[in-house]
Amino acid sequence: MSENKPSLKYRLALRFNYEARSAGLFILPVMTVLALVAVFPILYSLYTSFFKLKLTRPHQVPFVWFDNYVEILTDELFIESVYRTVSFTLMSVVAILLIATMISLLLNETFRGRRFVSAMILIPWAIPTVANGLLWKWIYDSGYGALNGLLKQLGIIEKYTVWLGDPDKTIPLIANAFVWKEVPLAAILILVTMKSIPADLYRAAKVDGANVIQRFVHITLPSLKPGFMLVLIYETMMAIRHFDLFFLLTEGGPADASHVVSWQIYVETFRNLSFGTGSAMSYILAIVTFALAYAIIKSLGKRI
Amino acid sequence: MSIQPTTFERGSEKYRTKSVWSERGRSIAIFTATMVILIYVLAPVAWLVSSSFQSEVEIVSVPPHWIPQEPTLENFDAIFFQEFEEVTYETRRTVDPAAGGYIPSTAKDLLPSMWNSFIVSVSVVILNLLVGIPAAYAMAKIRFWGRQASIYTILTTRVIPDIALVVPFFLVIKNLGLLDHVMSLIITYLAITVPFTVFILVSYFESLPDELDKAARVDGCSRFQTMINIFLPLAVPSLVAVTLFAFLASWNEFLLALMFTQTIASQTLPIIVASFTSDFTISFSFINAAGVVAIIPPVIIAIFFERYIVSGLTAGAVKG
Repeated sequence: MSENKPSLKYRLALRFNYEARSAGLFILPVMTVLALVAVFPILYSLYTSFFKLKLTRPHQVPFVWFDNYVEILTDELFIESVYRTVSFTLMSVVAILLIATMISLLLNETFRGRRFVSAMILIPWAIPTVANGLLWKWIYDSGYGALNGLLKQLGIIEKYTVWLGDPDKTIPLIANAFVWKEVPLAAILILVTMKSIPADLYRAAKVDGANVIQRFVHITLPSLKPGFMLVLIYETMMAIRHFDLFFLLTEGGPADASHVVSWQIYVETFRNLSFGTGSAMSYILAIVTFALAYAIIKSLGKRI
Repeated sequence: MSIQPTTFERGSEKYRTKSVWSERGRSIAIFTATMVILIYVLAPVAWLVSSSFQSEVEIVSVPPHWIPQEPTLENFDAIFFQEFEEVTYETRRTVDPAAGGYIPSTAKDLLPSMWNSFIVSVSVVILNLLVGIPAAYAMAKIRFWGRQASIYTILTTRVIPDIALVVPFFLVIKNLGLLDHVMSLIITYLAITVPFTVFILVSYFESLPDELDKAARVDGCSRFQTMINIFLPLAVPSLVAVTLFAFLASWNEFLLALMFTQTIASQTLPIIVASFTSDFTISFSFINAAGVVAIIPPVIIAIFFERYIVSGLTAGAVKG
């Protein structure tokens, strides 16, 4: 409806008419919940991040301006944890995109048992991350795990390996567990984009004499761009914030090999009980995610 | 693999006459791809299930027994019937003398924690619907000032990482005196799940024609009546999807539960299961049985409601 009428009084009347009042009433509950449990904590966290708030010294809470931020950004462990988060995210997202594209290519075909496959691939998505964590911890187990057993039986390794104990392998192994759980959602999102490609495009290309590979490269891939973008942004956000598997599989170890940003926040806050620096870290993470989120909101928000 | 010319999906253009060889090649390719994907997805779960039926002796065999040779239910028995046999330090090792009995005394916490999970998840679902439906209806069908801004606000809150909210959440919950109370989880899970609920419902309501809305209003329905009588019955598929997502998200949530719960009064299933994994004295077969118990409800939901879940996910993500 029109909001650009000239008279202010008329505009106010329009703005607060029955429609607007009922709309306000309808969105009030959700806004209250979000204000209480999302907006307030976010602002509170900003506030806390300017104080030297340590639960080990509850009666000394000096205001320290940006000291917490300076402390974090000059902390070598934090910088290293950023590198680890970045490498974890890169590995995971690339693998998710590749595997999910393959799955959605299959599910886009018509064949017997297609529905069975598409129900089965939901399983990793549905199971709790805790179950995912213990599942992979048991697979990677150094004494009796499936990975050692399988590789030994196939003759690929000579003797059992302590998989999660090797600092070079820790991040890829955790990323593998993460990818396994995230692939179904990504595959569904890509599949939908695939299904929305008009069949006419393929017919026209066929008429023009394009072969399967040419059609894939020149029609499928470019048309999948929105789906890829969505998965890329969403999974990047998920990977950056991921905590559960690091807690369950390695607790940041061995040594610092899987000490990522989310784990750092947890340790700083709940083990060192330093809420000030913990909040500051959270804030840095939130701002980085926001920058990424800007992209997702721009692409998603436009559709509403 | 047969060809199905009746469908209108793009795959079906393949039904045009082709040589038998290329048809066979396609079938083989599809069969191989299906097998590879099914193994990738199911093998880890199958291994978990298989080891949950093994005894303490069998689980430590090298090489591993892929299929239990002497399947046993002792782990599940311990989870579901442990509370009847008091486990003390003395009886602990007599549970199964041959194996040494590596079943923890906290095994009896699994059922209560499952109940906590259930209470939390159901409450979160109900609150989601109560709060989310009106908001989504208003955003989709009423043109009001601030509509776009409220949609953005809701999307934005979903984007902030949970781990970044943990510290302030913790302080808020602590000040409210709700630590170690299921209410702390219900409130925070509501905040986490409701943006997605609203988002999915908005896109669904928008796909319904505006004329429905106008007709009802002309006939004298209030906004509330229009929403309840006209739109709710039509929105059932998306309501099912939203219910499932809120339930699964609450059932599976780990980080916040880890922060806010301390005793079995509020601990949820993921917390109890996780507490087993860090204890080296507990048998792997028992941990795996606990894992199986934890994955059964969500997996059943996912398989039964696959259609709703897929359509809900896609409605939330890509419209039209």
